[in-house]
Amino acid sequence: MAETSHWTGSNKYLCDPALAQAFHMARTLGMPLLIEGEPGTGKTELPIHYAKDRGLDLEVYPVGSKSTVEQFVARFDHVKYLRDSQIEILNAQREEKGLESKLTTGGRNPEALGDYVVKGPAAKAYSKPNSVLLIDEIDKAPREFPNDLLYALSHRKFIMPESDEVIEVSEEDMPAIIITSNREQELPTAFKGRCIYHYIDFPDQETMTKIIDKHHPNLDEKVVSVALDVFYHLRRIGLERAPTTREILNWLKYMHSMTPKEAIENIKGLAGIGALIKTQADMEKVSRLIGADDSFFGSHNLN
Amino acid sequence: MFSSLPEKFRAQGLKADVRTLLLLRKAMQKGLVKTLGDIYNVLKGIVVKEPSDMGPFTKAYYEYFLHILVQPGQTLEDAILRSETFAQWKTQFLDEADHDVNEADLVNTFLDELHLTSYDIKEVVSGKEIWDKDNPDLEDKDAMDDEEAEQVERKLEKMADYSDLSLEELLERMEKVREQQRSKHGGGSHWIGTGGISPYGHGGAAKNGIRVGGQGGGKMARKVMGDKNYFPIDKDSLLNDDNVDAALASIKGVIEESAVEKLDVPKTIKSGIKRGGLFIPEMDSEKNEKLQVIVLIDNGGYSMAPYVKSVQNLFRKMKTRFAHDLEVYYFHNTIYDRVYEDARRTKSITLEKLLSHNKDYRVFFIGDAAMAPYELNSYSIESIKAIGQKFKKNVWLNPEPLKYWPYTYTIQVMKELVPMFPLTPAGIERGVRSMNNKSGKE
Repeated sequence: MAETSHWTGSNKYLCDPALAQAFHMARTLGMPLLIEGEPGTGKTELPIHYAKDRGLDLEVYPVGSKSTVEQFVARFDHVKYLRDSQIEILNAQREEKGLESKLTTGGRNPEALGDYVVKGPAAKAYSKPNSVLLIDEIDKAPREFPNDLLYALSHRKFIMPESDEVIEVSEEDMPAIIITSNREQELPTAFKGRCIYHYIDFPDQETMTKIIDKHHPNLDEKVVSVALDVFYHLRRIGLERAPTTREILNWLKYMHSMTPKEAIENIKGLAGIGALIKTQADMEKVSRLIGADDSFFGSHNLN
Repeated sequence: MFSSLPEKFRAQGLKADVRTLLLLRKAMQKGLVKTLGDIYNVLKGIVVKEPSDMGPFTKAYYEYFLHILVQPGQTLEDAILRSETFAQWKTQFLDEADHDVNEADLVNTFLDELHLTSYDIKEVVSGKEIWDKDNPDLEDKDAMDDEEAEQVERKLEKMADYSDLSLEELLERMEKVREQQRSKHGGGSHWIGTGGISPYGHGGAAKNGIRVGGQGGGKMARKVMGDKNYFPIDKDSLLNDDNVDAALASIKGVIEESAVEKLDVPKTIKSGIKRGGLFIPEMDSEKNEKLQVIVLIDNGGYSMAPYVKSVQNLFRKMKTRFAHDLEVYYFHNTIYDRVYEDARRTKSITLEKLLSHNKDYRVFFIGDAAMAPYELNSYSIESIKAIGQKFKKNVWLNPEPLKYWPYTYTIQVMKELVPMFPLTPAGIERGVRSMNNKSGKE
């Protein structure tokens, strides 16, 4: 029986209630969950922490510009197959000549085609009931990839190339499939139609405080609140690349070794701001605004 | 019947059809739908496919299920306060409440009840346990606590659980309620507040000191109605800095990407011979990422001036994201024998040089195609034609509103030479699509 209980996050991962509900719904309906949202909102973290927390097997497929559905499901290794069959001939020839030593095929048998099927994450996840399958950053894929994936996702069945082995999973045992996207390209409508969709909002200051607490539980409250004021101020001034959760966490990591007082001084002096600002143009904008805008330092009253 | 639900969503520009209903039915069979808030959540997961769908979805939902119409520019609060549904709910609520409540709180309570999901209920129950545990006076008040616990359970029994209802029954019931809410004398058994859709009576669990407040479903609904991020930008409005990203999304369609593993024949033969006739296939992964674009911008005359900046912005953004070949040239009104490399039109290249580019380049003309008729002589027509013949994938994007096109003679002529689309996100999308179709035919 698939794991369909309501999961609301673990002690390391703060799961937004709306996301937890969408995730529960997707698992109950046996549909993939498509998560979109700004970078650093914890899209990829969800399945990782879910699998860890519940002790489930996790298969990850990081999508890249070269991704094909073959890599995702399974492919037949023609190279090894040809090599091994050539070795068979070679060994037969050597035997004829009375040579003892043989070349090895590494335990593979050219007669058994299944030995040459390289299973991808999808095939692996489907052969283990109740696993978790993460398809990360699908928007990086070539345009055909999501459409190729459609078939795989809507039929709970894969046929392995050449060996014709069938990997099938019942609706109850469907792996929990999580697909993440940064919206760098529009996904086909038909593809979206087969997913439960959830858009993660950027966490507000209150939620962010909780997130930081999960990662840096020992940090002084005052430090966090001052850092967050700076952080949200930077997000508001319209930078090319607004800092995200990942960046604030890194920045605070840097403050870790200091006393709270030092840390606050450093934050106000924007020490290590490079952890938050990622482009030259943004850096210039920040220093210009700070020069011109006194409210920057008084901004903790703004929220 | 519910069959009009997809229609309602479609009227808001959302994608919904009979499959939406089938999925909703499946969700009900699986026990995901117990409250009106659940229906909102489930439908949201099924229907909403991008952030800008959130607004229209919420609007359609309020209109269909609650008969609350949100007029353009109106906030959700206003719409709720003006609705018959709220008026009825309020009467009942105030009857039961023993004190006066201000309007803002009323709307909050209304939203909380509306968006209360079965998840919230589970959490409230466990919240009750926690509260009991933390209660320092627990020993003194044992009996009282039991009573309270019973009370909570009783209220829960009263909860309208729709998981056993079939979709048809639910639809029928909703339709009935909608009818009742429409007629003024209807009163009586409507959804909100009477234990219909709301699992607790008013102040039910709240009386026990546990906040029932929703998980922010109501907060979210309110937020999306006022936030332009959750409403689609007008795809037919002319390109400006605000919708440049939407245009960029559609222009991305011009990238041709392919990643294939190919048999490297020469390498296979070479290494096979070295091995003494033992041929092992050598594979070579080949990655093609092709996006070669020539942009020809008409920056002459004041009619084009407002658009040049946003057009440049669009293509500059495109370049920083993809770093592929992109060349921008300028012209004035029409093209004779040369185009210019800089916006001030001081450095030029000849038409021949432009035509010497690889024929895979895609050409975007951007201009209003408005010029004096004498400029549209055989010379310039030939130049445009030559470009069109060399680069098969070409479109003209025109910032002039579509409705004026028929009145401009030169637009009519130019349209015959180069496929023309309006310079709007939607127009760019159609242009790119027509471009890609052309490449398919070859």
